[in-house]
Amino acid sequence: MSSPLSPRVALVFVGLALLPLTPWMSKYYLLLAFDALLFGAVAMSLDLLIGYTGLVSFGHAAFFGLGAYSAAVLLERGVSSLWLSLALAVVVVGLYAFLVSYFATTRRGIYFALLTLIFAEVVYTVFRYTQTFGGSDGIQGLPAPSLLPGVLVDTPARNYYLVLSYLLFAYLVCRMLVSSHFGRVLAAIRENEDRARFLGYDVQRYKMGVCMISAVLTGLAGALYPGRAAYATPDLLHWSISGEFLIMVMIGGLGTLVGPIIGGAFFIVLQEKVSSYVQWYSIVVGLVLVFIVLFVPKGLLGFRGALRLNGFRRGPA
Amino acid sequence: MSRDAALLHVDGVSKSFGALAALTDVSLTVHAREVVSVIGPNGAGKSTLFNVITGLHGPTRGRVFFNGHMITGRAPEAVNRLGLAKTFQITNVFPGISVYENVRVAAQSRAREAGHLASLWRQPDVDGAVMELLAAFGLDTRRDETAQNLSHGEQRYLEICLALATKPTLLLLDEPTAGMTPGETREATALIRRMALARGLTLLLIEHDMSVVMEISDRIAVLHFGQKIAEGSPEAIRSDPRVIEAYLGGAD
Repeated sequence: MSSPLSPRVALVFVGLALLPLTPWMSKYYLLLAFDALLFGAVAMSLDLLIGYTGLVSFGHAAFFGLGAYSAAVLLERGVSSLWLSLALAVVVVGLYAFLVSYFATTRRGIYFALLTLIFAEVVYTVFRYTQTFGGSDGIQGLPAPSLLPGVLVDTPARNYYLVLSYLLFAYLVCRMLVSSHFGRVLAAIRENEDRARFLGYDVQRYKMGVCMISAVLTGLAGALYPGRAAYATPDLLHWSISGEFLIMVMIGGLGTLVGPIIGGAFFIVLQEKVSSYVQWYSIVVGLVLVFIVLFVPKGLLGFRGALRLNGFRRGPA
Repeated sequence: MSRDAALLHVDGVSKSFGALAALTDVSLTVHAREVVSVIGPNGAGKSTLFNVITGLHGPTRGRVFFNGHMITGRAPEAVNRLGLAKTFQITNVFPGISVYENVRVAAQSRAREAGHLASLWRQPDVDGAVMELLAAFGLDTRRDETAQNLSHGEQRYLEICLALATKPTLLLLDEPTAGMTPGETREATALIRRMALARGLTLLLIEHDMSVVMEISDRIAVLHFGQKIAEGSPEAIRSDPRVIEAYLGGAD
């Protein structure tokens, strides 16, 4: 197996690590970069399902939101350790993803997507309309988490490095998965699920496995969010967020891992920049997305020929 | 009489789809290393019989035994893991990945890591087995081609490679020469027979081309309207009046 980190991608990460040292990275831009990388990581996790397995999840907001609430609940109770937040997010999101995928993987195509949506809407309703987790206000005014006792992640720069580390971790996990035997079976399922069964593969097990891995990676990203925003609200669980995740993957380029990271970052920056000028920003964002889907159907990474980024290929060789 | 133990035993299988009786009380025994063909006019129930054996459909009545296991109603993946592989009448490969990757993922289903945690980071080495299969079917020069770009004949061979890569003891071939020219058909028949001999395979095939059936089969079973109307050696079947009547449309 080739090295999971190609020189080109490694160079990009080094560049991202040096970014806060540049003079124009104000706190505002650091927080924007945080969001860009965080949602880039989420879009990449979703790409494991859509691009590599051919499963379209319309419920990833629930995984993200449950991760965020896992961290928020602990921070609210004075448990500041980031590691405990991440551990709780893995357990909560993992159990929920097991339940969702157990039922959703018995159906295909649009029915799979609808089942993931329905489960996510149930989670949204519980968090939004019961007072257990603060109702529509969510959990507000959270303190900063700590990396180690006494070492707080309390500045935009520290948050930025945290999310960059997470992105690198998640990228290596995804890259390893798609070039493993497991990843090749996922491709077989995407190409021809029935034939994979006749070759002895229990496809439901594989589909549940990749759903849970994608969900947990998304939940871990969610658990980093309250540290930056100081809140977790039911808005994070809303179906429109699941839709945005899908858009990020589509505009980045299916089945490329790197593409969806770019797509997520692009979407966040576009939304933020346009909304700071006009109130009807969603119209502008929508038009840009329509343009991309029509003219660059393979996603932003489809520009790679022009940009000489041909190191990013669909799947491993 | 029995030169080898029964490898496959279909015991009184019936299968109905609603009011349609696709199979009625069909029994069939295949011994190890035999080559058995199932023939019959269109709609006779041949493919349904294969689907019941491989676990795609559960039978309405009756049982299926394979290699000492009762496999009635087991899922296709479970049946395959016992050593029973199937090729499809309509080419059924992984269209968007390379020829090599098609066969590799099939071969890897028998690797130690398959289904285990180690499969998340490891890639079992099956290169030797894959290249051997590709070479046997003349596909080694096409290894990096995307499967959907192969010619029809090449796709039919890839179809067989996929099934063989799972190291079966019994191979079910559903019209392996469908859509081939007479020349390709002769070549394919010889190749299939060589592979079966070299690997000690048992073959059960559905075939319409009578020249193939007569040449390759040790025994032939004839289905007509879901019932087995005859079984025997190629010579016996060729002269069986019930078979001739079924094929020449004498059925009332």
